[in-house]
Order: sequence, then structure tokens, then C-alpha cells
Amino acid sequence: MLYELKNLKKTYNQRTVLNLESLKLEKNKVLGLLGPNGAGKTTLLEIMAFLTRPSAGDIWFEKEWVDFTNGKLMMNLRRKVVLIQQQPILFTTTVFKNVEYPLKIRKTPKAERKKIVKELLKLVGMGMFEHASAHKLSGGETHRVAIAQVLACFPEVILMDEPTASVDVENQINIERIIKEINQKKSISVIFTTHNMIQASRLADKTVFLFEGKVARSIYENIFSSHIEVDSNGYKYCVLHSGLKLRVSSQKSGAIRISIDPSAVKLNKKEIIPSIHNSFKGTLVQLTDEQSRVRALVDVGIPLSILIPKEVFKSLHLDLGEEVWLNCPKESIDVF
Amino acid sequence: MDLLLDSFLSALLLIWSIDPELLVIVQVSLKVSAISTLIAGVVGIPAGFLIAFRPFRGKRLVITVLNTLLAMPTVVIGLFVYAFISRRGIFGAFDLLYTQKAIIIGQMILIIPIVTTFTIAAISRIDERYRKTALTLGANVFQTALIIIREARFGIVASIIVAFGRVIAEVGISMMLGGNAKGFTRTMTTAMALEYDKGEFVLSVALGIVLLMVSFGMNVFFNYFQGKARV
Repeated sequence: MLYELKNLKKTYNQRTVLNLESLKLEKNKVLGLLGPNGAGKTTLLEIMAFLTRPSAGDIWFEKEWVDFTNGKLMMNLRRKVVLIQQQPILFTTTVFKNVEYPLKIRKTPKAERKKIVKELLKLVGMGMFEHASAHKLSGGETHRVAIAQVLACFPEVILMDEPTASVDVENQINIERIIKEINQKKSISVIFTTHNMIQASRLADKTVFLFEGKVARSIYENIFSSHIEVDSNGYKYCVLHSGLKLRVSSQKSGAIRISIDPSAVKLNKKEIIPSIHNSFKGTLVQLTDEQSRVRALVDVGIPLSILIPKEVFKSLHLDLGEEVWLNCPKESIDVF
Repeated sequence: MDLLLDSFLSALLLIWSIDPELLVIVQVSLKVSAISTLIAGVVGIPAGFLIAFRPFRGKRLVITVLNTLLAMPTVVIGLFVYAFISRRGIFGAFDLLYTQKAIIIGQMILIIPIVTTFTIAAISRIDERYRKTALTLGANVFQTALIIIREARFGIVASIIVAFGRVIAEVGISMMLGGNAKGFTRTMTTAMALEYDKGEFVLSVALGIVLLMVSFGMNVFFNYFQGKARV
């Protein structure tokens, strides 16, 4: 086990940004931390990189309990785990010297440093830029140099915060290739955050979903603000801003938020008769291939994202712009 | 106009012939100013770094006080230090009054706040990501501090330029604490004041020219560092 976290909390000015009951992360894997903005992904990474002290709770790294007050231990751990920030920053000097820095402070001999830096820059496809000034690089190039820089630390774990959020498609493909390569060839554990589900499923051996600082049982998608209404029969409904009424079973009342599980929604070409609760007519506006499933975006007044198994998708013969019927069973709706 | 032109030409001659009296004055000035600037750098840069980085109670007050000290007149510092080092002062036994050391002490008090506040300003502007990057790459606390100071070096070098300019050009402290003793504590500015009093403009103008040349030379020198900081 690489990391074990228990009752981990981080609060900033009385605002809890992270509240994890328990989380275990395995070694030598590519792990994805998936969640929307503000889910606590960056905070969690900074704690796992031993850069930020948690407000409460315990962490075990490679089965050893981590004492965040022990400066010497922190430094030793940081020499095993490196973090690439969402927008990495390079020192004001050349690309070469940036990648050389970790080797220099580890007192690697000069000739060896030169060899390693050249190799690493080649690995990330930045060999031509050795003598370039680091601040003149584009976002994607900076990111690739930052990867070479952390590889020069010869780490056991690389943490990456949204590695492809701020780069173009070409660099995105490059970075994903590098992530796979460093995990497979150098057997370095990689933990990365993303809010892109497709990327997580493409890259990660395992994905952990984070939502509002907590581990969620699945990714919360289709999140809407709403409020609870009760009809004359005592049935509870939540009403969305578009006027859509969804029957729910929940103890809560007043203003709430709901999330609709995309894989639990049923899609049909015709209305199911006799009509059941939570059936809506909508227009199919987008289709995306996601390995064994197809993601369909249906406009029912609000955009709903749903996942259909490939076989079902094929049997339905769907076309874009077509009218479809959605059925959201009560179990697919999570009220919080 | 004739007066100025005549003085100017005679002054150039004096500089050209490397007048021994002029040379001693310039040497004293440079030595005293260089030492006080050096000490101010050694004290002010780490102090500025700590104030910028460490959260502590009364931090804003400290910064406000430092900013106020920037406006302190040299004669006030002269008086203040005089009170301590005159015969009847606490440090009277050290016989510091009217020595180069006394000037250096006064000048340090003058420019340590300059170096400190400029350093605070320069370091506060440095992106937080530099600290995290250095730490995650395995740097210890000291190496991390060096990285941050290195990134802030443009502003820090500027503080040294300003501090040196301030001490080489000030007259109050040198006069009150140095006493303008010929060949010993006579600096460019005190000499200029004296020559002016005597109505002897030639040496005054010569010293003025040298002072500006020295400042120019210093700026060319520091500019080289600042220029490199922009790579």
C-alpha cells in the first residue's frame, strides 16, 4: 500500500475543504482522482506531496505513519514524492539548469548530471530547447520540462495536478504518453487529478471520485440546484429551474442539490406505456464514445448526460437530433 | 555662468591630475559607504525575507514602522547616534565619535530600513509556486530560501542601489558623527559643504562630478546583475 489516509481533514479559515474518512492508494499504479472544481483534489495532492500539513487525521506512507512536524522526515519523504502543479513554474534560467536543479542539490557529479538532463529532455521531447530560457516556453512546453525536472528527482511517486488542463490537444497526447511511459518503464506510481472523466478512464488503472472534500461512491454528474416540494398525496418532488419535476425519496426539505447517475438513466425511442414517474421527452444533442459505453447528451430543458452500454446503443439505432424518452428511476437520483 | 564654467574646467583638471587630497576624500567616502551598504545588505535582506515569509503578530506594524523610518532625516539619526556614542553616552567608552565607524553606524541605521522594505516588497511579489517547486524537488529550507531570493534578485539589487546612493550622497550623518576631519572622516559631501562655505568652488564641483561618476559606475555594475536576472 502506497498511501493510507484516515479521517484526514483540512480546513482553511473554518472552511473544510477536505474531509476523508478513509482512502487507500496502491503502489506502482496510475491512479486518477476525479472530481469537479473545489472537490479538494489539489489540497489532497499537496498533503500527499508533504507540502501542506493536514488539520487533522493520519497518513501512512509505505506503511510508515507520517509525522508532519518532523522537518527532517518531511524532507526525506519529499525526496521520494514529487508534485507537478497545475500550472508549473520554472526557475528564471535556462531549461537545462531547471532540469539540473534536483540533481545539483542531490550532489550528483557534473558529468553525470549533464547526461541525465539530456536524456530526460529527450524523453519529454524538449531536447532542442536545452539552452532556451525557461520563461519563453509555451504552457505545454513548460509542462513537459516540469515533467523532466521531477524525473530528475528519481522519485517513487509522481503527483500531477490536472496535467492536461491548460495545454493544447497535441501536448495533451504527449503528456498522456509520458505518464504511461514513466509508469510502465520506470515503475513510478503516478497519481493525477482531473475533472475529465474520459481522460481518467483512458489513463488510470483505478479512479477515485472526490466531491466536496469527500470520497464519493461514484462520480457526481448532472448536478443541479433545486428545492423539495410535497404534493397533496404526500409524494416528494424536486423542482429544477427549468420547471422539470422529479419524484424523489428523501428525508430532506427545502433547498437541496441533486445528482443524477448517468448510468442509471434509461433511454428509449418511445414513451413507455403505461407511463411511469420521471419520464421526460428530450432531444439527443451529442454522442461520445467511451470505451465500452456511449455517452449521450440529451436536452430535456436541461442538458442531461447519460451512459448507455455499447450493445444497447447499437440496438437502438440512435441519430443526433432525434427525439428520445428518458426515465430517471428514483434510485438514480441522489439528494444532498 | 562664468563661475560655474571656470569651476567646472578647473575641476576637470583637478580630477585629471589625480589630486591627492581629492583622492583621499573619494577613498574615505567609498570605503565608508561600501561598508555600511554591505552590512545593511547582510542584515536587511534576511530580515526582509523573514518578515515577508513568516506569519507573526504585529507584522503590519513592523512594516509600517520600517516605512516610516524611510523618511527619517539624516540629522535626526546623527543626533540619535550622537546621544549614544558621545563621551557621556552609554557607548562613550568606545571612543566612537568622529570616527569612520561612527559614520558607518549612522548610515546603517539610515539604510537598513530601505534594504528591508525593498526586500519585503520584492519577495512578497514572488509566486508561491516557486517555494512549492523548490521543496517538492527536494530542496531544504535554506536552498528554498535561496531560490526565492534568486527569483527576487531584481528587486533586491534595486534596494542595494538605492541604499548605496543614499549613503554616498548624504551629508548630515557624516558631518555630525564623522566631524569632517581632513584625511580621516572627510567624505565627498562633507568636503563639498566645507569648500562651499569657504567660497572655494573648484574642489566642490570636482567632488560633485566624481560623486556622479561613482554613482554611474555603481549603476552600470548593478545593472549587469539586474539584466542577468531577466533571462
